[in-house]
Amino acid sequence: MTEDTDTDRPEGDADRSEARADGAGTAIVPPDDETPTWRERKERKTGLARLTYEYFERARREDQDLRQESTYVERDVLGFPAWPHETIRNLAITSFFVGMILFLAAALPPHIGPPANPNSTPPVILPDWYLYWSFGLLKLGPFNPELAILGGEKLMADRTFGVLANVVIVGFIAIVPFLNKGSARRPVEQPFWAAVGVFGVTYAFTISVYSVKNLMPMDPHLLFDLTHLLPFVAGTITYALLRTMREGYMYDLNRRYYRLRPPK
Amino acid sequence: MSLERKDDHDHGAWIEEKDLTPIESIYLTTLVWLDERLRIVDYLEILETLYYRVNMQMPRSHTEQYDLDNKFWYWYPLYSLGSFSTLAYIVAAVSGALLGFYYAPATAGEEATVAYRQIEFIMLDLNFGFMLRSLHRWSAQVMVAAVFLHMLRVYFTGAYKEPRELNWLIGIVLISLTLLFGYSGYLLPWDQLAFWAGQIGVQMALSVPVVGEWVAQLLWGGFSLGPATLQRMYIVHVFLLPFVVTTLIAVHIGIVWIQGIAEPH
Repeated sequence: MTEDTDTDRPEGDADRSEARADGAGTAIVPPDDETPTWRERKERKTGLARLTYEYFERARREDQDLRQESTYVERDVLGFPAWPHETIRNLAITSFFVGMILFLAAALPPHIGPPANPNSTPPVILPDWYLYWSFGLLKLGPFNPELAILGGEKLMADRTFGVLANVVIVGFIAIVPFLNKGSARRPVEQPFWAAVGVFGVTYAFTISVYSVKNLMPMDPHLLFDLTHLLPFVAGTITYALLRTMREGYMYDLNRRYYRLRPPK
Repeated sequence: MSLERKDDHDHGAWIEEKDLTPIESIYLTTLVWLDERLRIVDYLEILETLYYRVNMQMPRSHTEQYDLDNKFWYWYPLYSLGSFSTLAYIVAAVSGALLGFYYAPATAGEEATVAYRQIEFIMLDLNFGFMLRSLHRWSAQVMVAAVFLHMLRVYFTGAYKEPRELNWLIGIVLISLTLLFGYSGYLLPWDQLAFWAGQIGVQMALSVPVVGEWVAQLLWGGFSLGPATLQRMYIVHVFLLPFVVTTLIAVHIGIVWIQGIAEPH
């Protein structure tokens, strides 16, 4: 305690000799000049908080070690910086895009149909184009298995099956990062996953076409078969092409890499 | 010379003795005035610390490592699709707010409902109303298209891989919410297409085993379409989704800012 603070409290000397808990002489901790280090903070803590600080300390040490071991050129950013490089580059492209929206809006105005009438079902019921795939998945009835156990009955209604198909597809897309790991990035480096992607895109397109089958001048059974065959064809072709390309591509990449860093 | 101790904290005197241009002295005076009251310096320090934390030292990118710049430039447009969808979202938000001045989600009326009449009013009587609706609709379409293509770009360049899995998941949520945005907006004119698209939606919800009926009640306001449906879709479209989607977009872009753009290796 400094002398200044003692003048406020006449019985200061008596207070200092023994700790009192009646609230009279509150123990004021003098402000510390230094911010506590992670170690100090850690040592004051117990339980989960202590674990947290221990982890922080480890993480910092890890960062530092990695940085010291690294042979990389020192940089400020990871990958391509979002600001300013990416943003400024995008501004040019996006001002073009806004112009495009304005042009579309002016040239192709939207339509409004007759007012809603619950008593007359229109011949064509459609969502917007971007929901066609989901609408098409509702018509997957032929795939809904008839189980012998249930005496040829279906386990669930066709429409429940269709909704389930939606959930399965969105769920599969969501877990892709946890299925496909590793550092490969380009389609040529992993033909299988590129083929899965092409399969998905083609299927999204064909199932959208199938969802408007009553507007297609084609036998619906043939359309159904094509809807589910074409994606496999497209996927297989992609796989074959990329496998063929891969060897030459990797040779080129490796040659460039080793020219940069010759093996010791 | 005075015997008084010099006051280190007399910022006014400090400014006096410095040789400053008018702009500099005005700036400094304002800064000191604000800082004495609000302690801005503390916040600036926090910002500075944050800046250095975010801009960590990172390895050389693969474009540099493999000298790929000459092979890379023609992919650039595909890397702006995310920005493009954000932009279309902003255009849709502005034009939507303007449309909201004139639209009313009511199903009263004999032949056509109030909602339908208001759309007619916007398109036929309101100055620039047709263009406004057109703009709103096209920016929505373009946003959905851009989001789809953005997802494909991310998929085919493997940009979802470690450490970007979390952003991929947020992206899946965002694309679903974008579709819901589009769907709820599609119902608002309350014409034949809207009504029967709503009917499909209710039927889809009802065919889900356990939670289906609850979802139908919550989103469509019942098992068949009526005034409650339009009211709820309107609130979802102009109140609920804008908050949620805007927040998620901010988080999504924030993570991209922290992690940097993933380049193809």
